[in-house]
Formats: sequence, structure tokens, C-alpha cells
Amino acid sequence: MKKTIILTLLIGGSLSSCKEDFLSVIPETALSSATFFTKEADFQQAVNAAYVPLRSIVNDRAWLLGEMHSDNTYYSRNILFGATEQQEDIADFAIPTANGVTSNVHVLNQYRLDYQIIARTNQILSQIDKIEFNAATKSNLKGQAHFLRAYAYFELVQYFGKVPLHLTPVTVRQEAALPLSSVDEVYNQIVKDATLATTLLLPKSTQEAGRATSGAAKTLLANVYMVQKKWADAEKLLREVVTSGEYSLIPEYADAFSTSTGNKNNKESVFEVQFQEGASGYNGNFIYSFLPRPMATNELQPITGTSNPQPLTGEGNNTPTPDIIAAYETGDKRKDASIAYVTLSGSLRDNKVYPYIKKFAKTHALHNNTGTNWPIYRYSEVLLFLAEALVEQNKLAEAAPFLNQVRTRAGLAATKATSQADMRNAVYADRRVELAFENKRWFDLVRTGRAIEVITAYGNRVKTKPLDYYYPAGAAARSNAFSNISLLYGLPADESALTPHF
Amino acid sequence: MKQTFILIRNKRRVLGYVLSLLLICTSFSFAQQVKGRVSDPNGEGLVGVTVSVKGANRGTATDIEGNYKIDAANNAVLVFSFVGYVAKEVTVTGQALNVTLEVDDRLLSEVVVVGYGSQLKKEVTGAVQTLSYKDIKDLPVSQVTQKLQGQLAGVQINQTTGKPGQGMTVRVRGQLSVSAGSDPLYVVDGFPITGSIGAINPDEIEDISVLKDAASTSLYGSRAANGVVLITTKKGKNGTNVSFNVFTGLQEVPKKGRLEMMNAVEFAQFKKESYEDAKQAVPVEFQNPSQYEGKNNDWYDALLRVAPMQSYNLSLTSNKDKVRTAVVAGVFNQQGVVLNNEYQRYSLRMNTEYDVSNKVKIGFNIAPQYVFDNTPRTDGDRGTGILFNALHTWPVMPIRDEKGELTLFNRFPASTGNIFAYANWVRAADELINETKSVSLLSNAYLQYQPIKGLLLKSTFNIEMLNSKFFFFNPSTATSAINTPIPTTAVSIRENVENITWLNENLATYTKNINDHNFELLAGFTNQRFRQESTRIQADTYADDRLPTIQGAINVNRNGTNNGVQEWSLTSFLSRFTYNYKGKYLLTASVRTDGSSRFGADNRWGTFPSVSAGWVVSDEEFLKKYSKISFAKLRASYGVIGNNNIGNYTSYALINNTVNAVFGNTVAPGAVITSLANSNLGWETTKQIDIGLDLGLFNDRIQFVYDFYTKRTTNLLYSVQVAQESGFGNFNDNIGEIKFWGHEFALNTKNTVGKLKWGTNFNISFNRNEVVALADGIDRVYGTFHITKVGQPFGQFYGHISQGMYQNAEDLKNNPQVPGRSTIGSIKLTDQNGDGIITNGGDFDDRVIMGNPFPKFTYGITNNFQYGNWDLSIIGSGSYGNQLLVRHIYSTANLDGVFNMVREAKYRFRSEANPGKGMYGTTVGGGNVTGIERDWMNSRFIADASFFTIKNITLGHTIQAKNLFFKSARLYTSIQQAYVFTKYWGGPNPETSAQANGQGDGGNLSQGIDLSNYPVPRTYTLGVNLNF
Repeated sequence: MKKTIILTLLIGGSLSSCKEDFLSVIPETALSSATFFTKEADFQQAVNAAYVPLRSIVNDRAWLLGEMHSDNTYYSRNILFGATEQQEDIADFAIPTANGVTSNVHVLNQYRLDYQIIARTNQILSQIDKIEFNAATKSNLKGQAHFLRAYAYFELVQYFGKVPLHLTPVTVRQEAALPLSSVDEVYNQIVKDATLATTLLLPKSTQEAGRATSGAAKTLLANVYMVQKKWADAEKLLREVVTSGEYSLIPEYADAFSTSTGNKNNKESVFEVQFQEGASGYNGNFIYSFLPRPMATNELQPITGTSNPQPLTGEGNNTPTPDIIAAYETGDKRKDASIAYVTLSGSLRDNKVYPYIKKFAKTHALHNNTGTNWPIYRYSEVLLFLAEALVEQNKLAEAAPFLNQVRTRAGLAATKATSQADMRNAVYADRRVELAFENKRWFDLVRTGRAIEVITAYGNRVKTKPLDYYYPAGAAARSNAFSNISLLYGLPADESALTPHF
Repeated sequence: MKQTFILIRNKRRVLGYVLSLLLICTSFSFAQQVKGRVSDPNGEGLVGVTVSVKGANRGTATDIEGNYKIDAANNAVLVFSFVGYVAKEVTVTGQALNVTLEVDDRLLSEVVVVGYGSQLKKEVTGAVQTLSYKDIKDLPVSQVTQKLQGQLAGVQINQTTGKPGQGMTVRVRGQLSVSAGSDPLYVVDGFPITGSIGAINPDEIEDISVLKDAASTSLYGSRAANGVVLITTKKGKNGTNVSFNVFTGLQEVPKKGRLEMMNAVEFAQFKKESYEDAKQAVPVEFQNPSQYEGKNNDWYDALLRVAPMQSYNLSLTSNKDKVRTAVVAGVFNQQGVVLNNEYQRYSLRMNTEYDVSNKVKIGFNIAPQYVFDNTPRTDGDRGTGILFNALHTWPVMPIRDEKGELTLFNRFPASTGNIFAYANWVRAADELINETKSVSLLSNAYLQYQPIKGLLLKSTFNIEMLNSKFFFFNPSTATSAINTPIPTTAVSIRENVENITWLNENLATYTKNINDHNFELLAGFTNQRFRQESTRIQADTYADDRLPTIQGAINVNRNGTNNGVQEWSLTSFLSRFTYNYKGKYLLTASVRTDGSSRFGADNRWGTFPSVSAGWVVSDEEFLKKYSKISFAKLRASYGVIGNNNIGNYTSYALINNTVNAVFGNTVAPGAVITSLANSNLGWETTKQIDIGLDLGLFNDRIQFVYDFYTKRTTNLLYSVQVAQESGFGNFNDNIGEIKFWGHEFALNTKNTVGKLKWGTNFNISFNRNEVVALADGIDRVYGTFHITKVGQPFGQFYGHISQGMYQNAEDLKNNPQVPGRSTIGSIKLTDQNGDGIITNGGDFDDRVIMGNPFPKFTYGITNNFQYGNWDLSIIGSGSYGNQLLVRHIYSTANLDGVFNMVREAKYRFRSEANPGKGMYGTTVGGGNVTGIERDWMNSRFIADASFFTIKNITLGHTIQAKNLFFKSARLYTSIQQAYVFTKYWGGPNPETSAQANGQGDGGNLSQGIDLSNYPVPRTYTLGVNLNF
């Protein structure tokens, strides 16, 4: 027995000297955090990845929460199709919300995508100063991280109001959920990040096309000030953008938008979300979401120009309402550039003609695979922001040229408004059509205090004239439509289940 | 039956030899030497029989031929004893004494294989159940686990899909976990294998031991919590035996039990009525349903066929010149009952053992194998599995055109509500290639040395290899997806996987007997390492379907092209101490320490101790007077065991460096941290108590085993969901607790023992579990259709309780509704929280636990009859109280008429006067109305899936041959999956369980989903066993 033990110990002992090596098995096909964030290229890659959630945000969510959740667009009801209530609830201002929490999946996904950007930028900003590398590159990377974090929090605070404020990376489970910060705290952080970004980032002419620039950061910060009604602060920044010489209006409104393969990040573009068509997975397909359905291939192909069109089933979303169609002044070139019509043979409506959003519907090679970029900020918005900031400060004469610059490009005469109230309405009216379908409408209504009034009236129209809002004969808006018109979205229920704080 | 004893005897021999070596005491003082030979009833010499002089402290053992020599005086009495045989006393007469020992057919004298050794069944203190392969050899199935159905108390074995070679789930004592694997550890000839047990040729197996309690399994430490199945393959026997076993069979899916779908006329009638009820014009296609008379297209049936299967096994066992050999060569060929499904296995096993000297023994086992499998994409959710697709395809769509050719693609005009268009599923079965070819090798080599009496040293080196090649090709003419026009984009996938596992074990066993005190000490250390390398290439867009090469593709798909490495290592120290006094008071203690690469750097080593005790009450004087009690033993055990199926790199924070961005027209590489590190991550711990009773009555004609167990699994590997404001979805942690408890009963009886021998084996098991804790702040985990909630059993079905349909305007008005959606004739759900409206999800959710996928009890019963040369066995397996969620009715009973419907949907709500049966609601109102009953999980989806299945009936006839080329032959015929008694209405297989996405088994959190998986066929076979 002794021998046994001795033998075991002997052999076991000789083995145990190398056992820690034997037991240390490192993943071979993935990097682990221990070796990451150690050199410039790591931070380059981390910054690149922080942009990625924007693709999903604008392709899948923002148009639901920012555009179809307004009087600009509605869904085109297909009564054969179920499981559509998640979108319909948003368009119908009927999102089930209790205790400030909603189970709507689009709200949830928007929330999570914004926090993806935040978590990725937090990782970068917490590590980058620990590693030495080229100062100019580092500034540029930090600037992009600050810009993206500011943008994500700006979306969150506008959608939800109070949200958790994460500024450092989470490393243990117990830190995952934070208490809600006040709206002011969130805005303070956004201003801080955006301000840093304005100084750290390069101007458009020297920045790699598609990345955040100092002009984009200034526009973002100005936008924040517009929401906060800090008109003078906004004016200062917007003037800097205008005088920078980096931007100008594209002569034809229709050409201001990227195609599937070209005209990207053009002279008018201040910041846009980048897509690339092809099989690599960097494509978008939002224009397909924006088409009314059911659509046969022969109806689809003229719009998309693809070699392999496939019929679209289900229910179409983001269909321009009669309200937005009526909002264009006579002779506004933007109307035909933004909206076109298609006849659906399979529609159950008597009138089988539907409007659809044309400004993004560029031809491309393959079905459901587009490379068209999504505009976040265009120079025309900078001009309209500036006009508005000046109007609010009652500098009407200074405001008019900026508004008129946008109107002229649209083929319209200079504004006839003279009073501050008229000028304000003129800017609002022009913003609505200039930026139609760019997910600005809901935020504008809220920011300018018109949301409840406008949406209530709009809801009444939908309920009383369902045929005008693309319901087939006999169908009507659901009984709960427009029963929950509120300025903020409820926080997502799935997240509520994971945090003690809401 | 005879053959069974030969097997048992052989085991006894090996152990007996070892034991007898230990028992020899060496003192020579008397004059006369007695010689002789000890043989079994067949005249074969018995090796290792203990021969001792009664009353004297002196003895010897027989040699390899059964011969012995011993000094003994005349009139002294020699005692011949040998494990498994009735001891015999013979008086010395001065002449050679040749003795024949009779087999002791009390089964409790069997030797059973336990972890790292074997024990007399009588002296086992843990919960171990053994099965001789003989008892299940006739079942015409490809996997040994299929053969075990209904045989084992406390082990639930379900066949979730009928795909040949796949789909068995085995759960020992209901063990499960949130996210760690729950399959038992399979140990083949001492080697814990990493490959699939399903691929092993069952004919190579000699016997199976299932270790159920912690005391039996704890020597497997961090891999023991799910139970351990020990498989021993065939060894060389006495003499030389050659046998050839062959069977051939036909399989079919019985009509009864299939889901009843509408035929073309019924479907057209349904469509017509739904347009009429909605006061809409009926499309021309459905105005006259009788036009489809005689033009029905049963898509499901079109995918099925009567399919043959064959099995051939040739084996040789031999024991000559100190070499023991067993060779088994097998060919198994099963065509599936779904078109184009094929499973073939070619296997060889050679087990050889050589006695180099009295002290040194070496052995080699080597088992190479080739498996070919082509399975069409049968299983899966709508749009992925062709069986589900076929069920819901409109029966008015033609399978074949006027010329009899298979159609390519079917779509009706949009005006008919045909939103989903279909390719031809028969083409999908025929034309898609979905095959795996694998070559594997399982091998052991060992050296055993006995330096001194009582001490055995054994070193083993084991290697397992697998090289598998998967090839998938979807030509342009077919697809298993829905709504995909033909021609479609042709796609190929190739995946090569290479696994290699090696294990070195070094064991020392020391046995000592001091008077009536018997000790055994086992100590050892082991090292095991696994490495897998895989390469996957996906390519698409082929110019020509005939050349599905990679270079023939226009595009190589980046997202589907990758390579991977998976690796783990395990270092262990193990030790066991066994003691008994007179074989009456039994005690075992063991411990294993495992160091695993899977555990976090700060938590590398886990220790798993156990202790067990037994008391053979029937050896006590006070029980001996009750002659009817032939054996009684009480057992109790406690142990700590682990589950290390937590993934190989789970403790690391990993970077995903494929999160790329685009700037302008340039792709820029991007990287993110996708998981959080946890250097403390470790195994799951299960602490188990077992109390058992073994009883033999009437000279063991009735044998009864009872076990009660209770166990707690803590430190569950749990990918704890965290608030995603953190940027992460989950954090891998050891958290939470589940308790399990249960009762197991097994009863073996010899009902008649005369000319007609009739024996019955019956077992029944009651397994329960309850979630005690999850993460702090989290008291529930949701699956798609399930909830796992503290205080409740695991993975319960979760949804709304249906009360039928709103019958009229008043009913609608007086009951809570889904705002904007409920109408007369739509589903009436229960307002659980009393807030006046029905809500799905969120803070005012009205969903509750609505069903349980776990059975109240499972049972098995086997009856064996033997009359002269005839034998008959009937094996049954059952389950009671388990429910299934008939998931596929979200399509097969979709009231919008976009799919074919179950026939029962005829009895839907049509009007107040014609309200149907309360199961299916009104079609009027479209998706806004019908979507509630379809998309909101509710109690109508839940079905009782209790069943009793006659798994097998075999009738055999044995012929003893005198002057023929064979010694004996047995002819038999059998029916496998003979009949399923069940009220289950959701499809043919009440054992099914699919993942929510339809791929594979449902996993622990989401068991019991029926997505119309591959049905389990009934098989008729004819077979013959020839012995030469």
C-alpha cells in the first residue's frame, strides 16, 4: 500500500510540475481581452466597430420610432397578414405602456443598439490614454468615440428621457445596471462629449470620407442646443459650419441623396450612415421596408432595377400619408423627388395606387440588398437650424437668407413670412418637407411643443377616413389607435426585467 | 438464457482469478499431494477456482486449464469455490479429484462493472443498474441507446426524431441544467469518449452499467453529474466461437398517428367558407371545391416510403495460448423512411489480451469505423424542415404536372391569399445533398503488472479519433425554404472536422483480506486532452448544378466560411477505499480531484468526494429464519459530483474582430469585446443522497430494487442575462440551484420456471425537480415558449389560458379583451391579473404556466417467454403525464388560410349558431384577429403526450445442429415500434422534442416542442443468429 502511494505521488508529482501548462488552453481562433487594446490598430478597429450599430439603427428602427411615429407616414394595412402589431402600435400611438415600461420590440432594440455604441466607445475611451501612439491619430479616434457616444445618448434622451448613464466599461455582472440619470445629467454629458468631439475631430476635407468630422460634431452639438432652446449657442456653432466652406447644397434636391454605389458623403452630406451593397453583409434593405405590399415582381422591378426581383409579401411600412403629400407647396421640386406612386395588383383596396418614398429608392444589383447611405445630417438642415435659431432670437432678417437658400434649391420663391410667428412656421413647414422621411419629424414635433396637438388631429383623420390611410374597404383603424399619445417612449420591458432601477 | 450465463461466467472468471490470487496462503506441511481439474458444466476448465482444505489455513487456485495441486491428508475435505458458481466440498480419497462446478444462478452473485473496476453485485453500495447486451440484441435499430428504452429505472430515454443514427436524449435521474450539457458520460472500456455513442456498433457491446448515484459516479468527478454509462465490449471466451448474425427489415410510418390534414376538397371548401364568412368574393379557384375531387396532393405522404434495412455481424471469440481475442465486424445499412435518407455503418472491433507472464498482462482494443449519412433537411421549423413544410403546403398544389414530372414551384394568384409560395418538397428530398462521411477510431492499450500479491498496477493509453466530412448542396432546382422561387441560388457547404482525444490512466489497486475484513484501495492519476479542428467553406451561385465544387461557384460566402479550434484538457487524481466485513457490512469512500482547462484561472481544481455503505441484512441471523427472503440489502450513499459541460473558453473575454464598418466604399476592420471574463468560472456541483433496498424473494425468483434519491445542483453554469445597457447580453457565472428527487422501482420476476419459462422485468421511475434559486435579482428565465421560475419545476410551458371563443356580442362585452383585436368568435383568453384587458408580455402580462413537459412517471416492462426451442420477448416503454406544445399548429391551423390546415379546423367558430368545438376561432378579421390565437402562446397548443409504446416484439426459434456446418442457429422475427398507445393528437411521435428553431433537441430550457420531426418508423424484421 505504501508503495502504491509513493508511486502515485512520485509520478503525480513529476506531472504536476507541468500541469498548469497542460491545463491552460487559450482560444486559438479568437483574440481575448487580455491581448487587445494594446496598440494603435486595436483602437482603430474598436472605433470602426463602434459605428456598426448605426447601420441597424437606421435600417431597422429609427424610421419606425422617428418617422412612422408621426403624421408623415403610416403603414399600408394588409389584412391577410398578422403579427404586425409591433409596428402598427408605433404608427397608431397605441404602444402598450405600463409603469413607464413597454414590451414593444422595436423600442427595445433601439435602446439596446444605442447602448452597444455606448459600451464600445466606453471601452475605447477608458483604455486609449493608457497606450502611447501618434497624438494626431489618437485625437481623431477619441473624437470619433466622443461623437458616437454623444449621438447615442442624444437618441436615448430624446426617445426615453431619463436613462442610465454608463461612461466606463462594465467589467463585472453587478455593474451591468445603473440607476436612471436625470435628463439634465444626460444632456450635460452629451454636451461634454460633443464639445470634445468638435475640437478633437478633423474637418471634412481632411477626414476619411464617412467618418465623423468636426462639422458633424458641431451640427450635433447645435442640434442639442436647439432642443435645449439655447439659440445663441446653436447659432454660433451653425455659423461655424456654414462659414467653414466644407459644405454646400447640391444643385438638385434629388441628387442630395446617395445612390446604391455612388454620390456618397457628397458636398451636402454632414454625416451619413454608410452601407455597401453586396454579399459581405454591409448592405441595407430599408427601401424594401418602405414599399407597400403585396407587391408582385413586375411592380417591384421598375423601382429596384434588380436582376432577381422577388415578390414582397406581408405589410408595407413608412407609406407617405396624405398629410405629408399635401404639405408640399405647389411647384416644390422636392415632392416628386421624394414621393412616387405604384399600383399593386394584389391589393385588397379598391384604389390600388399607393405612394412610396422615392428619395432613397435607388436602383441596385440584387434583391433586398442596397448600398444607399442614410443621411443623419445634411447641410440643408444646418441652414434650416440656423434660420430657426435666428428666428427664435428674433433676428428675422438674418434668418431669411438661410431659409431661402433651401427654398430656392427646391424651386420655390423666397418666403413671404415677415412676423416672427410666420417665419417660425415657415421654417417648420420647410423642415417638414426638406427633411421628410429622414426621421426628423417626431423629434421636431416634440422639440417645438406641437406633438400632442398635431398627432391628436392626425389620429382623428386616420380614424374617420381609414380609406385615405390605406385601409382596404371594410377595414378600419384598431379600436386602441391613438389612445397613447405621449412625448416619450416607455423604457423597454425586457431591460426592466434585468435592472432593479426601472 | 444459457448464453447469458456463459457471459457472466466469464466475467466471474476474471475477477475470481484476481481474488483467488489474493486468497492464496502459502504453507506446505502435509505429505500427500492431490491433483485434479475443475470444470464448468460444459467441461471447459475453470481458471482461478479457489481450492482450500476445510478447517486448515491452506489453499491454492486452478491454473489456466483448470488444473490444481494441493497437499491434503486423506479424508480431508477440499472446498472448491469460485465467484458465480455454487461452492462444492469433496472428500480426499487419495485419487485425482476432478470436479464440476454448477453455475450459481442467483443473479445477485453476478459481477458488475463499476467505475474503475468491478464488484460483486451483492457488495455494490451505489445505485448501479446493469444490462447484458444479450437481453436487447434483437432490436433492429442502429443505436444502443434506442435499445435501452424501457430497460432502465430512473433513466428517461426519448427518441425525439426518427432520423437514423440520431435524436436520442438520455437523462439520468432527470438531471438537467440551465445551459450546461445534460447527456450522461459514456465510458467505453474505461475510456470516457468524446464522440457520439450513437455511432458505436451495438453488437460490439457485452454489457452496460448505468451509474446513477453520486457514490457510483464520483470517480468521474467533474463529468459525473449527468450519470455515467459504462460500456464493456466483448472479450475472448472459453474455446473458440464464431457467430454470424444477420437481419433484414422493412420500415414504414403507420398511417395511424399521423397528423390529419385537410385534403384538396376540404381545403378548397375551407377557403370558400372563409371568404363567404368575411362577405368577400370567393376567388375562382375555390368557388367549386368538388373540382379537386381525385386531385388531392398529400405532400407529407409523398415524402415517405417503405424502406429496407440490413445488418450483418460476424464475430469471433477465442481464448487460447494465453491470448484472449474478440473480433466483431459489422455492416449496418438503413434507408430512411423519408426519401433519399440513408445511413450506413461499417465497423470493426478487435479486442486482444495476452498474459505475458503470471504477473504481466497486456491488452489492445482497436475499433475503426466508417459511417455514411445522408439526411434530407427533414426537421425544423416552417421554412427549414421539409416535413413541416409538406404538412402545411396547400393540397391543391400539384406534386406532379400533367406529364407526371415533379413540379418545380407552386404559387397561386395573390387573390387566393397564397402569400407563401413553395418549391417541390419531393425534389428537395431527392436533389439536396446533406451528407456526412466520418471515419473514426476508438482504441485502448494497457499494461497490467502485479509486482506483489494483492497489488495491481495498470497503465492505459487510449486514443479516439474522428474525421468527418460534411457536404451540403442545394441545387438551383429545389430548396427546403419557403417563398424561395425556383430557380434559386445554388449553395454548397463543406465542413471538415477532425477530433483527437487521448487519455492516459495510471491506476494501482491493492487488495487485502485479514480474516473477515476485506479491503481494497484504488489510487490513480489520469490526463486527458481533446482537440478539434474544423474548416467550413460556403459557396454559392453556380453556373452548373452538376459541378458543385468550390471553384465552380461564382461567390465564396465570407459569413459561412471559417475555421475553428476547440480544445480542452483534464488532469485528475482519483482514489477509492472499499471495505467490507464478511461481505455483510459494506463501506466505500472515494474522491476525485479534477483540474480542467475549462475552469477559470482562479478556480482550476475541483474535488468530488463520496461515501456509501451497505448492509446485507439477509446475512444476519435474525433474517435467516425467514427462508423466503433470499437476499436483502440496504444501501445509502452521499456524494458530490460535477458537470463540466460549460464550453471550452467560457471563462475568457473574447474579441469578435469581424464587426466591420464601411467608410465610403472601403471596408474597415472592426473589433468588439463580446463577452465578459470570469476567472472564477467553474463546474456545476451536484450533491446527491441515495437510499436503496435490494431484495430477493423465493430463492431470488423475485428480485426487487428500490431507490430514493434527492440531489441539489448548485453553481449552475448560467449565462446570466444582464441589462444590455452594459453592452453585453450575458455574463457566464455559476449561480442558482435546482433540487431533484425521485423514486425508482425495478422488479424482476421468474413467473414460471418449468417447461415454459416466463420472466418479467418491470421498472417505474418518478422524477421531480424544482428551481430553488437563479441569479440574485432574477427569479425567472424565459424561453420562447417556456418559463423557468424559482419555486416551480424547470422549463414549464408558458402562455395564456384559453377559454374557447367569444360566443356572441354579450360574451365579448362581458369579458376582458385584447384591445383592438378581440371579436365575436376570436379566442377568449383569461385575464390573470384582473386589469380588464388581455396583455401579452410587459408588466401586465396575463401569461401563466400552462403545461409541463416532464412526465409524472416513466416505466418499462419486458416479458420474456421460453418454451423448448421457442422464445418470445415483448418490450414496452411508457411515460405518463408529460405534455407537448404542438408548435406546428401556428401554421397547420393558421386561420388565415395561407397554409393547409388540420382537418379539425373544420370545426372552427363560424357563427353564433355554428360555434365549432372551441378549439379554433373565426377566420373573419384576418391577422389582427386570428393572430392572437396563433401568435400568442396559449393552452390550446398543449397536448397530453402520455404514451405506452410496444417497442419490440421478437419471436425466435433455435435449432441445435449436429452434423451441419454450424453448431446452432436461431431464427427470429421482430416488430420494432410495434404500436404506440397514446391520446396525443399533435403528430405521430409523443417522444418528440425540438428546439424553438427546429434544429436538434429542445435543450433543457425548452423541452417538448413538436415541430413535426422525422417520424419514428415501425420496422418488421427477419433475422438469424448462427453459431459455428
